[in-house]
Amino acid sequence: MNRAAHIAILVLFLAFFLAPFLVHPGLVFIAGFAMIQIVFALSWNLLFSYAGLASFGHAAFFGVGAYVAAAALRDGLPLNFVLVLVICAALGAFAAFLVAIVVLRRASGIQFAVLTLALSQLVVILIGYSEFFGHDEGISAIPRPVMNFWLFSVDLRQPLVNYYFVFTVCVLAIGLMWLLVNGHLGRAMRAVRIDPERAAFVGIDVWRVRVLAFTISGAFAATAGALLAPWGQIVTPDYVNWLHSAQPMFASLLGGAGFFWGPVVGVIGLSALNYLTRTFAGLSEVLIGGSLIIVVLLAPQGILGMLRHLAGRTGAEKPGGHK
Amino acid sequence: MTSLYLYAIFNGVVLGMAIFLVAAGLTLAFGIMKIFNFAHGAFFMIGAYVAHAITGQEASSLPLFLGAALVAAMVVGSVGVLADLAIFRRLAGVPAEYTLMAAFGIMLLCTGVTRIAFGQSVHAIYPPAALSGMFFVGFPITAYGLFIIGCGVAVFLLLEIGLNRLWFGKLVLAVARDPWMANVSGLRVQRLKLISVAISFALAGVAGGLLVANQSLSLDLGHSYLLLAFCAVIVGGLGSIRGAFIAAIIFGLAESLNSVLLPTMPGIGVYALLIALVLIRPQGLYPELSQ
Amino acid sequence: MILDAQGIEMSYGALKVLHGVSLRVAEGETFAIIGPNGAGKTTLFKVLTGERMPSAGTIKYRGEDVTRMPAYKRARLGFGRTFQVARVFSELDLKTNVVISIESRLRYSGRSPGPWWRWTPSQEVRAEAEEILSRFGFPQHRWGDEAQYLSHGDRKRLEFCVALATNPNILMLDEPTAGMSPSDRREMTKLLSLLKADTGITIIMTEHDMDIIFELADRLMVLNYGEVIAAGDPEAVRDDPTVRKVYLGQGHQHA
Repeated sequence: MNRAAHIAILVLFLAFFLAPFLVHPGLVFIAGFAMIQIVFALSWNLLFSYAGLASFGHAAFFGVGAYVAAAALRDGLPLNFVLVLVICAALGAFAAFLVAIVVLRRASGIQFAVLTLALSQLVVILIGYSEFFGHDEGISAIPRPVMNFWLFSVDLRQPLVNYYFVFTVCVLAIGLMWLLVNGHLGRAMRAVRIDPERAAFVGIDVWRVRVLAFTISGAFAATAGALLAPWGQIVTPDYVNWLHSAQPMFASLLGGAGFFWGPVVGVIGLSALNYLTRTFAGLSEVLIGGSLIIVVLLAPQGILGMLRHLAGRTGAEKPGGHK
Repeated sequence: MTSLYLYAIFNGVVLGMAIFLVAAGLTLAFGIMKIFNFAHGAFFMIGAYVAHAITGQEASSLPLFLGAALVAAMVVGSVGVLADLAIFRRLAGVPAEYTLMAAFGIMLLCTGVTRIAFGQSVHAIYPPAALSGMFFVGFPITAYGLFIIGCGVAVFLLLEIGLNRLWFGKLVLAVARDPWMANVSGLRVQRLKLISVAISFALAGVAGGLLVANQSLSLDLGHSYLLLAFCAVIVGGLGSIRGAFIAAIIFGLAESLNSVLLPTMPGIGVYALLIALVLIRPQGLYPELSQ
Repeated sequence: MILDAQGIEMSYGALKVLHGVSLRVAEGETFAIIGPNGAGKTTLFKVLTGERMPSAGTIKYRGEDVTRMPAYKRARLGFGRTFQVARVFSELDLKTNVVISIESRLRYSGRSPGPWWRWTPSQEVRAEAEEILSRFGFPQHRWGDEAQYLSHGDRKRLEFCVALATNPNILMLDEPTAGMSPSDRREMTKLLSLLKADTGITIIMTEHDMDIIFELADRLMVLNYGEVIAAGDPEAVRDDPTVRKVYLGQGHQHA
């Protein structure tokens, strides 16, 4: 099973890597979006499957990154875009930290979920007030930057360069998250999810681990958002609403929340769904809502969970398919 | 100047009652069935659309208005029962997060279906003639506002007395507190739960039917009331009717005063209050039924 | 004096469960708390470990007041705990269970468990985990097994490994042999004896099995309805008429 999984990951990697040469520009555009959504979904799943916290307002952090990057580019801020990315990540981390401090005082599943939802709505409202962020219209016609490094420059106005920039940043982000969850911090987070009391009795400060997980998750979500600005060239409040918060949740469940690569599989499925319903207002909500219900009821361990079950490895069929 | 504040306070109380009408079903659902129904707002919205379908833009008489609300209650109550049987029952043993996600999915589904069925348009709705009067006591009081306050208080009393005093209510509470024991004592737990589900959702429907005249009918209707209702339920204490009542009034007042004191930043008062209250008293005002 | 608890009172709402319980445990001692079910043993345990805060009373650990200290801080000071129903990280394998414990210890004692980007545990940590697992009778081929598939007795042993991996000074064992088969029970008793002999660790345990108590405990305390009705060395307590009436039964004989 592991061998098959590794091959599949390699195939996916190559598919995204070679996309500009394999498919037409419209699909390449989607591929870029998909990579951004993958990072976003992975950031959510980090919090959910590793630290055990279900955030229902994660789009807020995505929005922080998207809007700040968009504003920076629109106003022609003389800052290398890579630096802008870093700043957005830091802002996302900070926002997540603030939310965590407020919400984790009572980390009961339900209160946590509702409060994350409410606080993400707060972000929507704050953005809505603001002239600077374009009220309900958002920021459009975002110019793509040119980044000058000492020996070479990266011009995102060229589609190929833009794509590989997004690709590189995403691969880096995914790599960082992978290292994190497989390192000692990830183990501590999992301990906190599986049995917080047992974790406390080996000296783990449960609250601190949760806040840290939330902060890191926020940073990655914001990074994904920031990448969206030069890629899609338009940022609207739709990227901060409930439907968008549901996307990483759904992607993770569909792909299999208990697996690191689950969200990747889920996003690909989700992107297909979104693409097919993009013109039909309301249909995407129906399909995503309906599919979420179906997945939760019938296949909570997701696609990867079912595959593993079919491969007959273990009989474990707990929701989430956590290994 | 004071009349402005009095007006704001009146409006705040009206809003608070409106929030309570939505929150009551929500907190009941949690207290009895331990499900936090994210989709509650969607059901509220369905109730509003159903009532609107019956009465049109303006209900021709008070009985028709009330009747439409009751029909909405029944429709939504039935849909809720279906949802419970088809979905929530199956998720009994599963971690709370998955139930929340299913409810979230239901919410999206309902919003989407409504968007498809009724379109994106926004309809202005007016209260029936009998309730469209206004009085002046230094500041304007709408008859409709008084009506809402009346409804809110009525529902509160009904639930409080019904649950705590009447035999039926006590059965429902028994099932909520200890389902296993209730079962062993011979209570038909499943049936009682079903009835409680129906009541909870019916409340959402009735709220939708009654409140629709307060606002323009649109898909965001569910969202704005829903979030305020969520806040009221969390701050009041999950499962507590009394807590929801008090918290709803607090939030209603906050929102109303906010629009008077800070007209350029509507909505922020509620969130500031939410954060403050969660920090001060995370378990809610009446944490009786929450863990 | 490693642990000094005075006047512990505990109420759950209107129900008072502990009425001014006091105990003192010396370093290296094995102290047992016994009594009928409902006597308040578990509550007392929870108060001592930091799961619950008492309504009144003080607890001092090596002179430091820990009454209001949360559980994880007490764990860092040197408390180890096992539960009546063994709690381990069920979705993870044996080795990872112990690794987590070790890494936590390294973290809070100021040494790093390794760089954050290392995706396997460091050499040191792994070696230590393997050593602990072997010492407690888990052969190498089992280290990769998921903890949730362990038998009851094995789970208790694993929990032991996890608790000991933090090098505690005081071990709080809640019915360490509950639900075990006789052979597992003997195994556990032997382990505990060896542990005492090797490390001189202080142990506070609650138990129902009198034979084990008499074999391991240096001193006893008997609780009934939240009050201490007898305390002292095992022989004296065993012969105490009140204790016999309330708990041991008239016919109990030391094996």
